[in-house]
Amino acid sequence: MASEQFYEAFEVFSRKRDGLPLEHRFSLTAPNKEMAYIMAKENFFRREAVKELWVVSRKDIRKMSQEEREAFQLMDNKAYRETRGYVDLPKKWKEFNHDTKVKEG
Amino acid sequence: MVLTPFDQLTADEKYDHFMERIEKGEKIEAEDWMPDEYRKALIRLISMHGISEIMGALPEKEWVPKAPTLHRKLAIMAKVQDEMGHGQLLLRVVEDLIQPLGKTRDHIMEDLFTKRLKFHNVFHMPAPSWGDAAIIAWLVDGAAILSQTMMLNTSYGPYGRALKRICQEESFHAKHGESLTLALASGTEKQKAMLQEALHRWWESLLTFFGPKSKQETGHTNVDIGIKYKLRTKTNEQLRQEFLTKYVPKIQLLGLSIPDEQLRFDEDTQEWRYTEPDWQKFKRIVAGDGPKSDERLALRRNSYENSQWVRDALRHFKEQASEHVG
Repeated sequence: MASEQFYEAFEVFSRKRDGLPLEHRFSLTAPNKEMAYIMAKENFFRREAVKELWVVSRKDIRKMSQEEREAFQLMDNKAYRETRGYVDLPKKWKEFNHDTKVKEG
Repeated sequence: MVLTPFDQLTADEKYDHFMERIEKGEKIEAEDWMPDEYRKALIRLISMHGISEIMGALPEKEWVPKAPTLHRKLAIMAKVQDEMGHGQLLLRVVEDLIQPLGKTRDHIMEDLFTKRLKFHNVFHMPAPSWGDAAIIAWLVDGAAILSQTMMLNTSYGPYGRALKRICQEESFHAKHGESLTLALASGTEKQKAMLQEALHRWWESLLTFFGPKSKQETGHTNVDIGIKYKLRTKTNEQLRQEFLTKYVPKIQLLGLSIPDEQLRFDEDTQEWRYTEPDWQKFKRIVAGDGPKSDERLALRRNSYENSQWVRDALRHFKEQASEHVG
């Protein structure tokens, strides 16, 4: 029907307070992004705090497929990218400390 | 580890993989593979929920001019706006589910008008007095909160996220309903009588709100599918018991009588006993043959027709805007 082309889907993001990240809230349909912004504001943010509001046309969003999401989960060997890959450092420092003390003695 | 590309799996393997995800407590997203039975169950559940929000808001807005004080008018307006918003959030969730079937929001509305799409039994019933407005806001909304909270952990991600938002706003509705009820219950004799009459009118609808206990009452139930796919965690009867435990003591505390002589808490089974409501009547009401079914559907139709000028204006604006771009 005609409404199919008339309305397009938008995703709505908002930031509740300064210092918080922008978060996805929900989706709505509107004929254009100005109306999407007005609908988001008037229909859904009459009560809660909003520091920032974004509407993004869904056709501009590249989402993940189920397969991509599941493939992502398999990568669990990334310790070298994180602090938990370097937990032996305090022990190393301790050894230095010990060596120094032995020399001083 | 799945190394075969997903689309090369057999139908059974896809189903097993889906059920594994459900068992693990993963959330299913709109474009994920899902069995037809799951999609159908979601469409039925969420379209009924979404349309019920709207069908409930329409008669409620009729109370705005009649509410006794400015504060009450404002609170009802806020509630009506919330319910309409909930309807919109939920219809968006349904739209994504019906899109692969080649359907749109127009089909949902068509199904509503032809009575193929059902809405909650309570919205087919008359609400003649301000006492009814109070009982609806307190107990019907209270019942709705119980069933919505139960589904917060639903396996379908988009529905769960919408419910989280809805439940936050519903907690204001619950307080609003309590406030209306307490005002009447501590008012004049006439006000107390108004509240009492409304409770009598609404009791059976409240008892049937959660649906039948099992297939025997109406011939079918969708509860089993809901539990299998982790759309819900409690049966209709568990919710009804929860409702009675939460509200019967409060109703009694207000000195109101409940029109059921059989109603009592059975200490042995730790369950409420009540007179079985007329489930055939319930079935007729939900099928669109309730005392106010046609009138409420007419409200929906009128509200759509009365706002046609807004859509026309938007269409005009959109055409002009695209001409400029072109």
